[in-house]
Amino acid sequence: MADTSQSTARWRAWLSEPLFHFIIAALAVFIGWNAINGSRSDAERTIRITQTDLERLAALYAAESGALPSQQDMAAMVNDYVRDEALAREARSLGLDDNDTIVTRRLAQKMTFMISDLADDPDPDEKTLRAWHESHPDRFTDPQTLTFTHVYFSEDVRGETAETDAAAALDGLNAGEDWRNAGDPFMLQRSYGDLPIREVARLFGPDFARTLAALPASDSWTGPIRSALGVHLVRVTANVPARLIPFEEVREAVLADWKEETRRQENEEAVRDIIAKYKVEIEGSGSK
Amino acid sequence: MLKKTTALAVILLLAGCGKATESKAPGADGAKAAPDEAGRTSGYNPDRNAYFGDLHIHTRSSFDAYIFNVRRTADDAYRFALGETIQHPSGFDMTIAGGPLDFYTVTDHAEYLGILPAMNTPGTKLSELPAAKQMFSADPDVILSSFQKVGTSVREGQPIAEMYDLDTINSVWAENVAAADKYYQPGKFTTFAAYEYTSVRSDIDEEGFGGGNLHRNVFFKGAAPPKAFSTLDSSNPEDLWDWMDEQRANGMEAIAIPHNSNVSNGQMFRLQTYLGEPLDSAYAEQRMRNEPLVEVTQVKGTSETHPDLSPNDEWADFEIYEELLGSYALSAVTGSYVREAYRNGLKLQETEGFDPFHFGLVAASDSHVAGGAYAENDYWSKVGIVDGTPVARGSVPFPGTTSWDEQPDNQIVNNANHWFSRWSASGLTGVWAEENTREAIFDAFRRKETFATTGPRMKVRFFGGFGYSDDMLTSADLAHQAYADGVPMGGDLVGTGDTPAFLVWAQRDPNAGTLQRVQVVKVTSDGEEVIDVACDNGTPDPSTGRCTDNGSSVDMASCTPVNTGANELKAIWRDPAFDASRRATYYVRVLENPSCRWSTWEAMRNGTPPRPDVPQTIQERAYTSPIWYIPGN
Repeated sequence: MADTSQSTARWRAWLSEPLFHFIIAALAVFIGWNAINGSRSDAERTIRITQTDLERLAALYAAESGALPSQQDMAAMVNDYVRDEALAREARSLGLDDNDTIVTRRLAQKMTFMISDLADDPDPDEKTLRAWHESHPDRFTDPQTLTFTHVYFSEDVRGETAETDAAAALDGLNAGEDWRNAGDPFMLQRSYGDLPIREVARLFGPDFARTLAALPASDSWTGPIRSALGVHLVRVTANVPARLIPFEEVREAVLADWKEETRRQENEEAVRDIIAKYKVEIEGSGSK
Repeated sequence: MLKKTTALAVILLLAGCGKATESKAPGADGAKAAPDEAGRTSGYNPDRNAYFGDLHIHTRSSFDAYIFNVRRTADDAYRFALGETIQHPSGFDMTIAGGPLDFYTVTDHAEYLGILPAMNTPGTKLSELPAAKQMFSADPDVILSSFQKVGTSVREGQPIAEMYDLDTINSVWAENVAAADKYYQPGKFTTFAAYEYTSVRSDIDEEGFGGGNLHRNVFFKGAAPPKAFSTLDSSNPEDLWDWMDEQRANGMEAIAIPHNSNVSNGQMFRLQTYLGEPLDSAYAEQRMRNEPLVEVTQVKGTSETHPDLSPNDEWADFEIYEELLGSYALSAVTGSYVREAYRNGLKLQETEGFDPFHFGLVAASDSHVAGGAYAENDYWSKVGIVDGTPVARGSVPFPGTTSWDEQPDNQIVNNANHWFSRWSASGLTGVWAEENTREAIFDAFRRKETFATTGPRMKVRFFGGFGYSDDMLTSADLAHQAYADGVPMGGDLVGTGDTPAFLVWAQRDPNAGTLQRVQVVKVTSDGEEVIDVACDNGTPDPSTGRCTDNGSSVDMASCTPVNTGANELKAIWRDPAFDASRRATYYVRVLENPSCRWSTWEAMRNGTPPRPDVPQTIQERAYTSPIWYIPGN
């Protein structure tokens, strides 16, 4: 069922893409690299980290952070060193070599760059995307939202009586008094619609947001409830829990997220594979 | 002197390392907040909401940021503003303090936009240049001299032909514009196409980027032109205004916002044109048409006023930073501060009939690491690996020493002494707008209905009118009445012969400190006055114009505030010295209770004494745009 003319046109377009040329060139290098791979000696396949190297890493760390590195810090730095060195040797073995620290880093960067372009996968099938959507609910969720009205009692105006004033006003509001004229003026809004919990916390402080989030939707007023700004009576008329957005509504975002994550993982794997080809010896602590 | 920073940058380049950042799919929060039938987004408020944002952010595409080892993109910057965690070039995580922002703008330097990343990308033509081999060479001195050439070129406005690749520059500009469009969610999150115009004027004999800062950020309300006007087109900001006038005539509305007048060496508010001609009404009109706002506080200090200019203002000595860009040379005070410019504006108005300094106030971070550091207790400054650690920032003693008396004489210590220890965890712009859309927020910029904070999201309303009464303070619809019967911040209040009343109303940041006092700053053509108008404790003493001491202090062992201040302060205020026949400019300054400065937090965490030559505590603050009283008839 393939449409030949369409697929030919697609190939033509591909052939004129600079990226395509680059991938072909990179593939050629890769093949060359695999050919060389078999014939290298053990010494070439060993990354030695001397005591002097360790001291240099520690000194760099101290100059940058102002403290001596912990064992964890050292381990992280050694990992980075091994990673860069392994990638750089691979790059050097392709004949791109020169020999000093900056060039080593640059070679490692170049190699990473090549790997990341090779890892450009085609779009995954529907099933993979749906599975991704299901396994990463936090990325595709609408937050909990509240629709509420509040009446503000300012402690800066009323002092200690703010809370008792608010308590005293509760029955009136529940009996139908107009909330628009109750309490003290509030600088922002008295009514908010579909406000995400995070926004409630930003406007009133986190404690108030937590308290409101737990209130069921109702037509009656409740309180007093404290916020970072004072005391409030509150009527929550809608409390919509966080909702996983159906796959159909976020298909594109799922695809973009899958691609980005997959690419990152494949890059990391490719780098790990290269590092795995090396034996690492650290002076004073045996092999890694 | 830039040589020293760059040398440090280069040394630290060797130690830099990066790892991938966790990220969330853009737009994963679901459908955009759809406008209703009237075209309004949810959250629309005719009495306007306060929105907070940062209008000044650099990413890897800025030539200097790239040398600071910054690799984060415009996408990363917007994700940071939306609350996601991104990575600092020194390897630690950055998450925005206080939750997501409402608006955010990437303003990369237009000069050589994206050129350095391209020079460092194998396979590009630019990477084949000898200059690229030098810029990313193995020899720090070669890198330095190569980078200096770029700095000198930006300052002198003379392109380096081989590096001035407009195809790359324009395509990276198009990418930044596209990123702004991609993250714009009407009703939720606003972005603008924007860039920095990086004019520097130097009378000092130093290489590189150093000199008096005349930088501006340029913002487009909607569509943006395919090429950004930079100093490589002209270093004269008046030529930028001509270009912006052309864009506006072509339907691309734009404003420019100058920043760091404090280190402009007296040139930002100089009483002459760029070429030294006398100012005239055409100059004033063009300047105000293009530059209705000024950035008054950011990482590189606060430009409100200087103790030498305002000896009677007890709060004038706040986060003063005076060294010229990339230099240890001091900036001239006169012509560099906002309050003095307001006074000179009134003088010009009274004598010549025009005011080139009729501008409102905003604030920003000027972060070069894609994410702003706004909180004193979570600070990472702004120039990447160059000041990415407490040692580099001079908040803890140099390794190997414990006392501040025995600091070595080296580049790290010297740069920290002169620059980084004096920088600030500042600032954010507050905007009063009906809704969170490009149109509403840009219109607020035009109205100058904006305020500037030094980091916290305190909110402040400010109105002036002739019909306000004292008892309106208890009216349920106070803000609505204030709009109906007066003008908000940024407005002109035209006289009726009566004494106007001002409504000042400040609310703390629910996630930061409490308030100590609210002040009105009054500026006339021959003087200035700072008057407390609302206090945490009681009312101001009318004879001194000051609140009584509210006893606020900080427990220096834990950086915890000892007493709490007010959650909100409000007052109706009338100027006791009001003269209906004279122009006067009034703006509001809100002061929080004292809290630990970032340098104190870092010293406390390190278990070493705080640096003695910077304040241990500061009072975070907000500044509103003024209301200008203009006598009627």
